[in-house]
Amino acid sequence: MPSETLLDRCREAVEIAQRHEADDVEVYGQTVESVNSVVEKHDLQIAKSQFETSFGVRAFVDGRLGFASTNDAARLGETCRDAVALARISPQDPHNVLPETQEIVPVEDLFDPKAAEFAASDAVRRAAEMLSLAESIDRRVILNDAWFESSVGETALANSAGLAIAEKGSLFTYGAVATAREGETVSSFDFQFGGARTVDAIDAEAPIRRVCESALASLGAKPGESFKGTVLLSPQAVADLVVGLLLFQLSARNALRGRSRWKSALGESVADSRLTLVDDGRRPGGLATSAFDREGTPRRRQRLIAGGRLDALMHNAYTARAMGETSTASASGSARSIPGIGPSNLEILPGEGSLDELVADVPKGLLIRRFSGNANPISGDFSGATKSAQLIREGRLDRAVSGTMIAGNVFEALRQISGVSANREQVYNYTLPYLRLEGVSVTSE
Amino acid sequence: MRRLLEGIAAGASGWVELRYHARRSKRLVVRNGQVEESASIDLVGVGVRAFVDGAFGFASTTDLTEAGIGKAMQVAQSIAETAAGPKRKKVPGLAQATFGNGVFPLETDDPLAAHTLEEKLDLVVRTDGLVRAAHPSIVSSEVSYAEMVDEKVIVTSDGASVQLHDAKPAFRVLAVAETAGDQAMALETVGVTGGWSDLFADKTPEGLVEKAARLAVDQLSAGRPSGGVTTVVLDPELVGVLAHEAIGHTVEADFVLGGAITAGKIGEPVASELVTMCDSGSAKIAPHAVGIVPVDDEGVPAQRTVLIERGVLRSYLHNRETAAHFGVAPTGNARAYTYSDEPLIRMTNTYIEAGEMPFDEMIGGVKDGYYLCGLGQSGQADSNAEFMFGVKEAYRIRDGKVTELVRGATISGNAFETLRSIDAVGDDFRWEKSSGFCGKGQPAKTDGGGPHLRCTLTIGGQQDA
Repeated sequence: MPSETLLDRCREAVEIAQRHEADDVEVYGQTVESVNSVVEKHDLQIAKSQFETSFGVRAFVDGRLGFASTNDAARLGETCRDAVALARISPQDPHNVLPETQEIVPVEDLFDPKAAEFAASDAVRRAAEMLSLAESIDRRVILNDAWFESSVGETALANSAGLAIAEKGSLFTYGAVATAREGETVSSFDFQFGGARTVDAIDAEAPIRRVCESALASLGAKPGESFKGTVLLSPQAVADLVVGLLLFQLSARNALRGRSRWKSALGESVADSRLTLVDDGRRPGGLATSAFDREGTPRRRQRLIAGGRLDALMHNAYTARAMGETSTASASGSARSIPGIGPSNLEILPGEGSLDELVADVPKGLLIRRFSGNANPISGDFSGATKSAQLIREGRLDRAVSGTMIAGNVFEALRQISGVSANREQVYNYTLPYLRLEGVSVTSE
Repeated sequence: MRRLLEGIAAGASGWVELRYHARRSKRLVVRNGQVEESASIDLVGVGVRAFVDGAFGFASTTDLTEAGIGKAMQVAQSIAETAAGPKRKKVPGLAQATFGNGVFPLETDDPLAAHTLEEKLDLVVRTDGLVRAAHPSIVSSEVSYAEMVDEKVIVTSDGASVQLHDAKPAFRVLAVAETAGDQAMALETVGVTGGWSDLFADKTPEGLVEKAARLAVDQLSAGRPSGGVTTVVLDPELVGVLAHEAIGHTVEADFVLGGAITAGKIGEPVASELVTMCDSGSAKIAPHAVGIVPVDDEGVPAQRTVLIERGVLRSYLHNRETAAHFGVAPTGNARAYTYSDEPLIRMTNTYIEAGEMPFDEMIGGVKDGYYLCGLGQSGQADSNAEFMFGVKEAYRIRDGKVTELVRGATISGNAFETLRSIDAVGDDFRWEKSSGFCGKGQPAKTDGGGPHLRCTLTIGGQQDA
């Protein structure tokens, strides 16, 4: 679909909703064309293709908000009418507003023309290659799951304040879940993910190599030791244990609801000074990079925590208005839902030193590659099982351990970061280093 | 649409399945008096599955013209052809089925469309107010209404041609109570297949509020259960959860092929002789239950599948692919959530049949134990039948009488060991009819039910969220 068409449909829909006497209207359109190939239990399971166009209409009537969405372009007129009708019956809320209109500067290289040529057969071939690679690395590896997905799409947004913008993009994602088996011993499973915006940047080998390495490393794991002290979290474990709480606390919506303890903590220290957290919506090559957010606010590089101090909460237009702040371009979501709040390309800035160097001055500790458990985003209390964990002894990685739990509090752990690695890995749309934390309770069977 | 799909399928080379699915959903969410969401969401499209040389391909489109659907069919066929190359274990074929051809209207006297959104939102707003007015300790409330109204046409090149109408509304009430920094929450829900008055036939909004508020407040002063292996009486809702989560998933034939614990156990005793467990998508067997599927997404009509008969494992749940593998007839359990999902083996309404013992007699036989009602906020079960569920409402039983409420109870064990330990099956029966979804890559609306049951399992206390 040429880009004028999707944007034109959005513009037309704005006019239709205005004819139904909406004070303000926003129409967000999305097309996606994707192919996906899945490997399960060492065989190709299914290959799928999807083509979808959808629209989300927000209608504002006298401070009342209604939302309607359709993926049936022929019914867009009725969808506009539904949104207005829903707004009319909803209670007033003075914070229901469109964002302030700002100039949108396009981002280069979001769309790779070669991606449009990428066929289902290419996705099937890539998935089959991932399987062959895993089998060639070591016969003990069991590839439980692997997938390769390619998608090209377009987003367009028009509103009654005169904003009319569109953007095309391409995205490749791929990943694998693997265990290793030797005789009767089965390792814990590991998950690795990769992604790229262009065909040339695809590297589906890397997650396969990492997942195999990690599954093999945890073979022969035996119960470890109980202690209170140093743990080293892999980027995946950082995502499992820390990122969820950070995003919960940084959401201005949660602040408004009184659920974030960082509501009034701007400028205050919330973590060790080694921690700097940035959400960069325009990061070159970023999996979530785009010129504008779900409401048409220009994306930017936004520091959230700088040197351990809270720099900003994540806002959309609603929370910005309600709290007297400006939007941080954090409106998230698809055409199927009302804009929420979420990050784009979230990153913890790199520290100094390699993984080896972070291990080198630890007399006793635990390297944790995955965390499977609960971290309460309000209290910060966490407890759960470590997966693919390895003891650290006298500055070196020692044997693999199983049946080992960790427990503590994420807020306290953030203040006890003693190391951040220089190298980082992509976990979904997060770019994360290894984090070394002190004072964590480690309990073994 | 049915004629259009029949025409396209007739012109196909090889096996194809064309499914038109239009879903019109509404969501109304009110939290603490503020409307969080008032949304109408339409999802319409055609999904095509093709089978070529032992492999499947799937393609979906929102272009509903003959050309658009024809193109999706070609894509699905070309994907299947490509996938057949690297596929190692070719699928030998699909089981023959007697298709449930025809038009299936929704059975209700009071269609959702006869009630305006204004009426529905008004009820949600009023109910939310009732929650906070119910007790001084209630500090927070959330009430929501969601409906999914579906129209489907399923056509296959080997003779299925079905048109279906379905509606599944749900209503949820959440109450949070607080005292001296201690919080407790309670969620009460109702969900059905049917219309507006069907939704509130068994449980009214006021009844849900009363129950949620009371449970949230009472938990604040409740003690913790003492852990250990103990005798328990499960209410029908929890029996439904156990049947679905802990046992039902282990008899889904795709999981069986993946190594679930029931593999190779057909004909073997797996439960107490008092237990007969079934799955059925039929409205006749499960009136207005959430998981009604008169005809599945492969065109196979609902039946009553006896999974366990007087303790003996009798059947798995099948689609046409696994039915062919096991040499049996498909059971009507192939379900896709939206037009862009391929059908997977899913449960419908899964239940344990009623027995003979009156409730009072069942409780009367327990000297020291617990009476457990409903699923709490957490739950998980594995394909080896190990489960752990949070319990919504747990009472101590002492000397044959239900006594005080306890808080934060969890139950865990192996589902088949639990089934073997059953020594009493109640003479009553109830469907769960809740608002939840089952997840297996795709969501699905399912239901569970049963009588009261008495058995032995491990009870544990847990920290509150």
